Amino acid sequence: MDLRTSSLPFSLYSCCSNNKIHNLLMVYSYTYTPLSEYEMAIKKPTPKLLETLPEDIDMGASESDPETESEPESESESEGDEDVKLAEPSKTAIYNKEAILDKLEDIRWPLDVDWMHKLSLDIDQEQEVDVNDDLARELAFYTQALEGTRQAFVKFQTMGLPFLRPTDYYAEMVKTDTHMEKIKGRLLSEKRRIEEAEERRKARENKKKAKEVQAEKQKERTKQKKDEIESVKKWRKQRQQSGFAGGEKDGDMGLPFENGKESDTSKKNKRAGISAWDRSGGKAKQSGGKDRKGGNGKRKSREFRDSKYGFGGKKGLKKQNTAESTNEFKGFKKGDSFQNKKRKK
Amino acid sequence: MGKKRKHSEAELPAAKKEETAPERPKRTLLGWKDKPENEQELTGFRNREKVLVTCSRRINYRYRHLMLNLVSVLPHCKKDNKVESKATKGATLNELVELKSCSSCLFFECRKHKDLYLWMSKCPNGPSVKFLVNAVHTMEELKLTGNHLKGSRPLLTFSSNFDKDPHWILLKEMITQIFGTPKEHRKSKPYHDHVFVFSIVDDHIWFRNYQISCPHTGADKIDRGGLEKMTLIEVGPRFCLNPIKIFGGSFGGPTLYENPFYVSPNQIRSLEKRQKAGKYAKKVKAKTRRKAHEMTNQLETDEFADMWKE
Repeated sequence: MDLRTSSLPFSLYSCCSNNKIHNLLMVYSYTYTPLSEYEMAIKKPTPKLLETLPEDIDMGASESDPETESEPESESESEGDEDVKLAEPSKTAIYNKEAILDKLEDIRWPLDVDWMHKLSLDIDQEQEVDVNDDLARELAFYTQALEGTRQAFVKFQTMGLPFLRPTDYYAEMVKTDTHMEKIKGRLLSEKRRIEEAEERRKARENKKKAKEVQAEKQKERTKQKKDEIESVKKWRKQRQQSGFAGGEKDGDMGLPFENGKESDTSKKNKRAGISAWDRSGGKAKQSGGKDRKGGNGKRKSREFRDSKYGFGGKKGLKKQNTAESTNEFKGFKKGDSFQNKKRKK
Repeated sequence: MGKKRKHSEAELPAAKKEETAPERPKRTLLGWKDKPENEQELTGFRNREKVLVTCSRRINYRYRHLMLNLVSVLPHCKKDNKVESKATKGATLNELVELKSCSSCLFFECRKHKDLYLWMSKCPNGPSVKFLVNAVHTMEELKLTGNHLKGSRPLLTFSSNFDKDPHWILLKEMITQIFGTPKEHRKSKPYHDHVFVFSIVDDHIWFRNYQISCPHTGADKIDRGGLEKMTLIEVGPRFCLNPIKIFGGSFGGPTLYENPFYVSPNQIRSLEKRQKAGKYAKKVKAKTRRKAHEMTNQLETDEFADMWKE
């Protein structure tokens, strides 16, 4: 059924299965037995069949016998689907072979009839087909049809008869053009859907890959950093051990980060007593305390507000303690009492 | 002057006509007399099969479409009105077939709006077969993408296990007669672009219809490579026939064969129902049994039960 996933319109079964089918066909050994031959084969009594069906000769038996109806109850069906069978053949089933062959003789066309009248071909099924395997079953039918047409076409060709429709022969088809249009639309949409899915999948994979690469890079970077630090430590140790052998020179070898460190510390010293993010540069604490008269031109309140709420610079972190402020208990009591009062309320 | 010339011109073609006239084949009311007769004498056989296709009343749309598909695929068939499906349908159908001067009949009988039975019979006194039809797919399905000429003669391919048993041979003969379009049928077209598959798998006859798509360059000769490149595209319909019985007469008569494995869909459904049905009864039963059990073996009173209560 689902051989037809290949997306090209109007050439469904083509490429994917063709090779396989071709291989199968190579294995084939087909026989076209003329009618008279197998007739002979049948007329010989087959003992095995007769054994299994002992009472198979009653012509006049009525059509339905209740026994067969009641039989299957005991046995449990596997599925309520279409192919439910009795486990064993019912004993009362009628099988009148002579009468069947008689009837066959009645209706049969003359044996020497030309093949052109019949157009029928017998194709060997190379092996038993599993019914429930849809793909295998359909493939078997397909190969049967394909083999049949090949044989037929060879026959036609030897007879010199036209069999392929010329490309300019237009006539009514079984399916209308509107219907074929519908089919085409469906095939195209299916193709598009498949393509889109493919694209999505690809994008997802790319993303995953990129993430991996990024992680790798990150790892490498951290490793490099670590290595560098390690090497510096080593170098320092060595220098210490060797007792500043290089003297000034070594000291001046001056790794940049050391300089940076120095400058950093100096800065810190400069800003000592001021919290890291105080935008007023320590003014707030001064002005907030006693020194209120330092205003030059500006109004006091403005100054105060500037110091309190900030004026330019980074906001926040203003109330964060520095090392000094933690040890300072100056305004502690006051604030405390105030707060307590509030709390009591 | 003018007159004279005209006369002479008229004379010339007349003379030509006299030369060619005797070669013209004789015509009768029914067609050309000479050539076809010779051919018929050679083979002594002419297929005059006509198939009557009808269905029962209250048929499902899906099955009706299947029937219509078959009608479109078989150019030698006649479609007729629906027939009431009752006990005496055999007689009426026989009459109908005779009335329409057909030689065989396909009758689609739908029961309970879900089960489709197909009667295939040779009239007036040939055998008839009753099939259960399942796995039906009609031509309208969009998954079946092929298309072929309406009325081109199909190739019939049979799997080799049709020659195994007498009843299969009989069925094969009937199928070739009913499904094969007669040669030189007036509605048939001269090319072959589709192929029927009849295959016995699991004691069912599976039917498929494929379009033959062959890359060719207009000429009728295809080489070995052309045969290799040939692909088939399914046209539909699909169905699967499960033979139930073969009767000696048309729509009746003595039973010649009966499928020993056949279970009717009614039985299957009833069985399913019965399996489902026991649920509530079982529950009730279990409850009462439990109660009885509890009554018979009562628990001894626990002496420490109210130790911590006080």
